[in-house]
Amino acid sequence: MRMAHAVDVRIRNDISDMGIVRDTLDNLAREFRIPGRALAQLQVALDEAVSNVIKYSWDDGGQHEFLVRITVQPDRVDLEIFDDGREFDPVTTLLPHHAPQGRRPRPGGLGIHLINKLVDRFAYERIDGRNHTTLSKTCEVGIAVQRSEK
Amino acid sequence: MNALTIGQTRAGSVCIVTLSGRIDSTSASDVMAELKRLISSGEKSILVDLGAVLYLTSAAFRALLVATDEAERKAAKLALCNLAGHVRELFEMGGLLDVFAIHNSREEALKQLAGPRAP
Repeated sequence: MRMAHAVDVRIRNDISDMGIVRDTLDNLAREFRIPGRALAQLQVALDEAVSNVIKYSWDDGGQHEFLVRITVQPDRVDLEIFDDGREFDPVTTLLPHHAPQGRRPRPGGLGIHLINKLVDRFAYERIDGRNHTTLSKTCEVGIAVQRSEK
Repeated sequence: MNALTIGQTRAGSVCIVTLSGRIDSTSASDVMAELKRLISSGEKSILVDLGAVLYLTSAAFRALLVATDEAERKAAKLALCNLAGHVRELFEMGGLLDVFAIHNSREEALKQLAGPRAP
């Protein structure tokens, strides 16, 4: 049976920490030969989901840490975010980004709209006072996973 | 790795801004700052070449929308060119292809931007 490979990254609610999760996904993509188009789409979805948590989960101005887990499965990549910020379900929250007729749109909600378009599964749960957001994208994963077969 | 780089060249009256790498939540503000700087310095025709961009996020779209609005306020023109592959796909997904002045190539864009202004 093929194995999954998971990496946990703990980052602060500081936008400069985005680079840590971005580079982790890049490294996994190289190791497991995730195709370029899928990687670009995963990077956009990851940026939207993680930057939302950084910007909106806490409003006390303090420093907080949260967990991002990237799991490479034989046929997909899962991105999970666990944070103890305020309850927010991005999946059912509709934030229309369409402008009134004749006006240029402001992309409020565009990030969530893009996530919905880019991944195959976008799920949210509130568990024990923590937000758990999952994004899954089906894609062909290369030989490194197969090498780890037991 | 693949950090955003912003280059600038000139073709006659058109200022060409070449973006390459990723434009995401950490780098979109650099794009907005550069475009706003050019507009406030009096540039009237700005062409943003996205041909070497790996991907862009909603923060990047916001930067381009704000810059386009700012250009209009200053009676300047801002256009985009060379949207290829998954960059074009992201514009499509966001429903943003009709929101900007988009040209297939730099040459086509320059003809439009450098052409005579409407009376």
